[in-house]
Amino acid sequence: MFRAIADLLSRREGDAEPPKISAETAIYDDLEMDSLEIAELSVLLEDEFGSDPYSQGIVPQTVGELVGFYA
Amino acid sequence: MLLELIDAVVVAEPDRELLVTAERSLTYADVATRARAVAAGLAAAGIDRFGVACATPVDTIVALVAASAIGAEPCVYPRCDLSNSELLATEFGHTTVLVSEPDTGLAPARTVASLEQPASELGGATEDPVLILTSGTTGRPKGTRHRWSRLLAAAHPDRRGGSRRWLLAYNLNQYAGLQVMLHVLGTGDTLVVPDSPQPRHALAAIQAHGVTHISATPTFWRFLLQLLSGDPAGGVPALQQITIGGEAVSDELLDGLRRLFPDAQISQVYASSEFGSSVSVTDGRAGLPLSVLDRPAEAPVHFRIVDGELQARSTVGMQGYHGSEDRDEGWHSTGDLVAVEGDRIRFVGRTTEVINVGGVKVYPLPIEAMVAAVPGVVAAAVFGHPNPVTGSIVAVDVVGAEGIDEDELKSAIRTATASLPPAQRPRRIRIVEELNIANNKVRRTGDGGVE
Repeated sequence: MFRAIADLLSRREGDAEPPKISAETAIYDDLEMDSLEIAELSVLLEDEFGSDPYSQGIVPQTVGELVGFYA
Repeated sequence: MLLELIDAVVVAEPDRELLVTAERSLTYADVATRARAVAAGLAAAGIDRFGVACATPVDTIVALVAASAIGAEPCVYPRCDLSNSELLATEFGHTTVLVSEPDTGLAPARTVASLEQPASELGGATEDPVLILTSGTTGRPKGTRHRWSRLLAAAHPDRRGGSRRWLLAYNLNQYAGLQVMLHVLGTGDTLVVPDSPQPRHALAAIQAHGVTHISATPTFWRFLLQLLSGDPAGGVPALQQITIGGEAVSDELLDGLRRLFPDAQISQVYASSEFGSSVSVTDGRAGLPLSVLDRPAEAPVHFRIVDGELQARSTVGMQGYHGSEDRDEGWHSTGDLVAVEGDRIRFVGRTTEVINVGGVKVYPLPIEAMVAAVPGVVAAAVFGHPNPVTGSIVAVDVVGAEGIDEDELKSAIRTATASLPPAQRPRRIRIVEELNIANNKVRRTGDGGVE
């Protein structure tokens, strides 16, 4: 999961150093992901794990909450 | 109508080949004899309109020629699918459906051979109707009513022909397939019929029967280029004419064709079963010249752009839809969305293919062309993938060259599209075995792509 997010962020232009990610990292405030990046993340999760929280109306605020969805 | 064309060739050269398949070859005289016999049978049975299903292309052509000889209205069904044929027979009120093989189980079926009977003098037809089904990418196909005489005029038969060998790279239920058939008949050329219009069957027929002229879709050409890349067994065929139509063409495809076939003339045709055949572009660039918007009053087809969509006004198109009055000759939508770039009209997608990404309208074709130009990409289809956050995102299915590293290819596609505005960038890239293709055209739906 961390790797999926890191992969996605590493594709941003200009970001020399992808930010460090932990369970506490806030998806919007710390990573500043925009709606299209969230959309991409949701597709990635759907393809990888067969489901994604966003399709079920759940919007995780932190990476930990996202991981928790699959627990 | 069609029989007269064939008779004219028979008078000049009775043994000229008309149809060549893997199993046999039929001369113009052979086809004329069979068509007369079938026409006699149709007339005796009082059949004035019928469907054609699951028939070989040879039988289909015989049936079409026979129909036109007595003014009956034929309609070729798509695909050999019996349950679909049954539905179509009901939908279009066909009480007779011609087939090649007996015992299909299809209620109104009769074999073409069973209709053959000693030909008497045919009365001659005063009408020349034919019903052509639209490809029906959305829902049920519609029947478009045409006349052979108009279709023939649009197929531009060429009196200087006679020695050319055309490939049938379309199915005969398609407008473009009938155009190729009519061009061959009107010119006196030979039609090579592959086992199927699939590129690999086509290539076998091209090489076995010395094909010189091909009209086909961009998707067909893309896969043919792929089959011929490297060092193909049998070598690269010496094509003289490459005609491309039925889908939007990209510059990258035109470049690829020019490189592999430097001696061929390359034409792009913009046509539809609704407004007819209207533009042939030979300047080697994708899209239409802007000058098509300023055609003289007497031109058979006029164009204008309204809200980004191309509209056409035609005197050479269909008469009307099946079951409807004749269509007026005013402006009608083409369903093709375009953008003007300098002196060029570029196709950006069909109205049904627009992707709504968080309120931003995204057109698939320019993105597809970008992806298709990435080395290692054989073909690509861009479409909208439903997404809970933005409604849709741009997705692309890609067929990669053999042995390509999938991760590297995905990464190269991301790099190539990174300069696009965020909403247009493909957010989901799948490497697939094949695209969802029907009639050698890409269906931008995302389903059916085999991973």
